[in-house]
Amino acid sequence: MSAIEFQQVKKIFKDGANTIEALKETNFSVEKGEFVAVIGPSGSGKSTFLTIAGGLQSPSKGRVLINNQSFSDKKEKERAKIRFKEIGFILQASNLIPFLTVQDQLVLVDKVRKKKHIENQLFQDLGIEKLVNKYPEELSGGERQRVAIARALYHDPSIILADEPTASLDTEKAYEVVEILANETKQKQKATIMVTHDLRMTDFCDRVFIMKDGILTRREKL
Amino acid sequence: MFLAIREIKHSKLRYFLVIGVMFLIAYLVFFLTGLAYGLAQDNRNAVDQWKADNILIAEDANDNLNMSMFPIKTYEEVNAEEKAILAQLPAVVSKKGTKETINAIFFGISPDQFLVPKIETGRMFETKNESVVDDSLRNQYGLQIGDQLKVSGSNTEITIVGFIENAKFNVAPVFYISMETYQEIRFENTNNSEDIPINAIVTKGKVSNLPDNLEKISIATFINNLPGYNAQVLTFGFMIGFLIIIAAIVIGIFIYVLTMQKTDIFGVMKAQGISSKYIAKSVISQTFILAFLGVGIGLLATTVTSYLLPAQVPFETNSLFLTAISGLMVLFAVLGAFFSVRAVVKIDPLKAIG
Repeated sequence: MSAIEFQQVKKIFKDGANTIEALKETNFSVEKGEFVAVIGPSGSGKSTFLTIAGGLQSPSKGRVLINNQSFSDKKEKERAKIRFKEIGFILQASNLIPFLTVQDQLVLVDKVRKKKHIENQLFQDLGIEKLVNKYPEELSGGERQRVAIARALYHDPSIILADEPTASLDTEKAYEVVEILANETKQKQKATIMVTHDLRMTDFCDRVFIMKDGILTRREKL
Repeated sequence: MFLAIREIKHSKLRYFLVIGVMFLIAYLVFFLTGLAYGLAQDNRNAVDQWKADNILIAEDANDNLNMSMFPIKTYEEVNAEEKAILAQLPAVVSKKGTKETINAIFFGISPDQFLVPKIETGRMFETKNESVVDDSLRNQYGLQIGDQLKVSGSNTEITIVGFIENAKFNVAPVFYISMETYQEIRFENTNNSEDIPINAIVTKGKVSNLPDNLEKISIATFINNLPGYNAQVLTFGFMIGFLIIIAAIVIGIFIYVLTMQKTDIFGVMKAQGISSKYIAKSVISQTFILAFLGVGIGLLATTVTSYLLPAQVPFETNSLFLTAISGLMVLFAVLGAFFSVRAVVKIDPLKAIG
């Protein structure tokens, strides 16, 4: 069973009289425990691909399934519920809430799903247990992305969507973050899709796809 | 609540300023309310103390006590559960040997009828030219029991024999005197004629018989028709009402600006699947907290102020009014925050990505 599956998904934008095919017909799936990268230059359709995967916009044709259940066909409210439960987002740099401490970033998740907060191993696993009472502004870029990973993993989703998670990091820190992401994917059996323009980051990935002009093609291992 | 409180804790200065603005407006509203209420009370509290239901005055007096005049014998023609005569006379008094003059109002009453006031200190008047007076004469002018007062334009001298609380009429302290004293001041002679003019008959309970030349009006109508009373109450009322609305608009704008600044953060939260409802709730509860704190500090400051004001200022608070106005201010502030809810709903989580 695929954690996420694209069935003949297509996205067309209308720009005046022109129609732009941001995403050409795509069939694609990711299994649990699999770490997949989508690389491509900006404007290639990567973001469209990721936002459709996350249910932030609907495909023009085809559909997206999550755990074999329909997802893209559902209403926005329903999609938000599924998104909150099944998808962990890791965004560029700004996805931490600036007025919450590292600890409270996770507490918020519990507040929204109305559960009691339980201490867990995540912070130790990610090496950020000493940062729990700090605000995002007090953290370095690498630390911030580790917290973002913790935030994405915390509610135990089946899918992790990472949008340029290494964009603001130097090479060494970027490797560290991607390595953590790869390890967590294996250990916790997540289906992870990482969108990046950085070719170096694909060493840890099981499969690599290239997005060009809205066409997604598998890149064979070198 | 969680997000709302954490954010206030994190951006203390910013929210301190918002609370500060709310506090200042609330303080102004409470202060005005205190003044308005105090002034209104100074117009009427002598009348309120009677705990009467109706007042009978001359039909052609246009509800104005001053203009009402009829002979005392009319009293016998009135049938009511309880009734009492009232003669009134505005006057200027001064303490013997000093030049400070005081505007006052004399109420001539009969000591065996229900208009007799509750004495706070001293005793009820017994003989001619004795008077029990409003205690503002002691608190504001330093007069004491036993002091003799000259009445301008008359040779009569009045001796204070007792004080009563909250007895003002038309913003002037009331002097309760006997009918005999009243005649002495007004006409410089006393007799027991049936034709002595009085101004009104105050009644309690049902009035069953009423002479043709008299008109029955309720105490509430009588108070509303006191010269200047209604104008004052309306003016203050409108000022207070508009201030409450202005407070709501001001805090609404603040919250809106703060919400706009957080568009990106809310966008990310929505991308993560946190509902607009949760975010909107947090904006509303934050507004509630800010308004509640601002109004609360305003109440506190008003209470402190009321102890520091000099006795001349007609400032009086009433817990019912303060509670109602506090509730209204918080409620309107929260309504003002609903502008921001629309903005929250419109935030597109797509903008958070790419």
